[in-house]
Amino acid sequence: MHNLKPPAVLALLLLLLFSAGPACGKVYIDIDSPSFQQFPIAVADFKPLQPFSENEKLSLLFSDTLSRDLALTGYFHLLDRKAFLEDPKQAGITSEGIRFEDWTVIGAEYLVKGGFQTDGRELVAEFRLFDVVRGELVVGKRYAGKSGDHNRMVMQFVNEILLVLTGETGLFDTRIAFVRKGAASAEIHTINFDGSDLRRVTNYNALTLSPRWSPDGRFLAFTSYKEGNPDIYLRDLESGSTRKIGFYPGLNLPGSWSRDGKRLLVTLSRDGNQEIYDMNVENGLLLRLTRDFSIDVSPVRSPDERRIAFVSNRSGSPQIYIMDADGANVQRLTYLGNYNTSPAWSPKGKKIAYEGSVNGGFQIFVIDAEGGDPQQLTFKVGDHESPSWSPDGRYLAYSVRGYGRSRIEIMNAGGQGVRVLHEDKETSQSPFWSPHLR
Amino acid sequence: MKRSFVWFGLMALVLSLSVSWMTGCAKKATLQEGAVVTQEQKAVAQAPAVVAAPDDSAARERALREQALREQALRDQAAREAAEKAAREAAEKAAKEAADRAKREAKEKAAAILRELQIADINFDFDKYNLKPEAQEILKNGAPAYLKYRDYKLVIEGHCDERGTAEYNLALGDKRATEAAKYLSDLGVDKERIKTISYGKEMPLDQGHDEAAWAKNRRAHFVIFPPVK
Repeated sequence: MHNLKPPAVLALLLLLLFSAGPACGKVYIDIDSPSFQQFPIAVADFKPLQPFSENEKLSLLFSDTLSRDLALTGYFHLLDRKAFLEDPKQAGITSEGIRFEDWTVIGAEYLVKGGFQTDGRELVAEFRLFDVVRGELVVGKRYAGKSGDHNRMVMQFVNEILLVLTGETGLFDTRIAFVRKGAASAEIHTINFDGSDLRRVTNYNALTLSPRWSPDGRFLAFTSYKEGNPDIYLRDLESGSTRKIGFYPGLNLPGSWSRDGKRLLVTLSRDGNQEIYDMNVENGLLLRLTRDFSIDVSPVRSPDERRIAFVSNRSGSPQIYIMDADGANVQRLTYLGNYNTSPAWSPKGKKIAYEGSVNGGFQIFVIDAEGGDPQQLTFKVGDHESPSWSPDGRYLAYSVRGYGRSRIEIMNAGGQGVRVLHEDKETSQSPFWSPHLR
Repeated sequence: MKRSFVWFGLMALVLSLSVSWMTGCAKKATLQEGAVVTQEQKAVAQAPAVVAAPDDSAARERALREQALREQALRDQAAREAAEKAAREAAEKAAKEAADRAKREAKEKAAAILRELQIADINFDFDKYNLKPEAQEILKNGAPAYLKYRDYKLVIEGHCDERGTAEYNLALGDKRATEAAKYLSDLGVDKERIKTISYGKEMPLDQGHDEAAWAKNRRAHFVIFPPVK
């Protein structure tokens, strides 16, 4: 399941070849600042490391994949290859072989160069990130693997670039779980952050909904009607085994894991009404948190686990509420609009994303967890639903429906940089972002 | 039973014939006591010869008569057996028809009961689960049949239209189903006989994306479960 974890047989050797230089340990730019501008970056075509082993296809594959993945992060402005001044035949891939002014003059601040070498099924690749303004190497890596591993190598190096420039690794080791719904059934699927490698997790030929990754990424909790009643199951993604953990009469819905992976907030209607409980995953013991005759559903823990946001219609319409971890001190958070659901607490703890009804459609909003004015992030026609934060809190995945089409999209936390993660003829809904998976 | 009766009759006939014949002899013997004994003995001694003798016409006639009687008896038996078989088959056919009819009638009765028990879908307003007057009317009309047929059970499905969150709609559908269940239980239908299940917005009746479709999809649907024999 953890496709990003390099299989042992692959022996993806990671060798730090070059000194990270003066950039080591320094975060270049605060990307959370409102004045953040995308890094102008150029990606040169990769070159064979040995003479007379030209491979134009592989050369372009490396530079194209790298460009795509860099663009995907939302932090980079990729310079057009046609504007490059450098003669690729003459130039080298080390500092000595680069005329940095050829790059600064076209507006680049960073440059990625690399080379590769194949020997049968073996593939070795080198990647270097240069700060062309300072005229120095920022980070360089050499990876060894098998042919076909170029994608994985590129992802690893993009993570290195992100780490050195922003202080955090990227999301290429994350996946997004979602529900893909056909005519008679709905099954849990997962997909890479870059939209590649769609995989089906369940195959029950039944309604299967609400995927929730465990904090270690090993388990997926979900609700399935496979035995008739909507019960909660736990899939071990390593062994592939599945265990039924919540099967009371009525509704059984998974909500939010605890950080230690031992407890799961759930919504059950076993006591005649939809209430929120904290369930011990090991022994099933329940701690009831809400007591209200109206609907209480969709609980989510704050990152410090001291509070829980949830949806209740106790005021007459569905709104987001916040309570203490033990159910005390219930306070209403949203007041604008008559339909606010699907709270998602940001990993940094300050904000809560949710969906709200606007002019008959649904849009994604964020609101300060302490209250205040909500900020609308999506504006297009259609229903934007079920926001889920990336583990670094910089992106939101959500579903979009409209005009008979549906898809999963990703945008940055400010609402910009929208891209389609997945779309096909089936309905895609309820995305849930995984933690880092390695 | 009938067959043994026939056999019994046949045996009686044969027996009475042979008895009359033997008593005839006995009479003769009584009348000609003493000297006649030898004759009688002779007759007895000659008896096999008498039967075998082709020229003994009386004996032959008797034999032929007996033969005819036996044959007639056999014919009668065959005829009777055929008649009996036909009668038996007719009876079996009638019984089967009666059984089929009973089965059909039972099936029709069961279907009639199901019709009597069937409750039409009740509909709800957007994001609401209160029972509207027309929904209450439907449930009031539906409840008596459940009081009459107490071994039938009921599953109430709660459904929503496509708008809004999958999860919130699961809770909303749950509410709709339980509201209908509570109302029926207030009308006297035993709670234990009613199960509720929410499908949220996942199983629309109408695939449309307008208010007409949505109105149909915001529903509680009633599924009857006949007693398990």
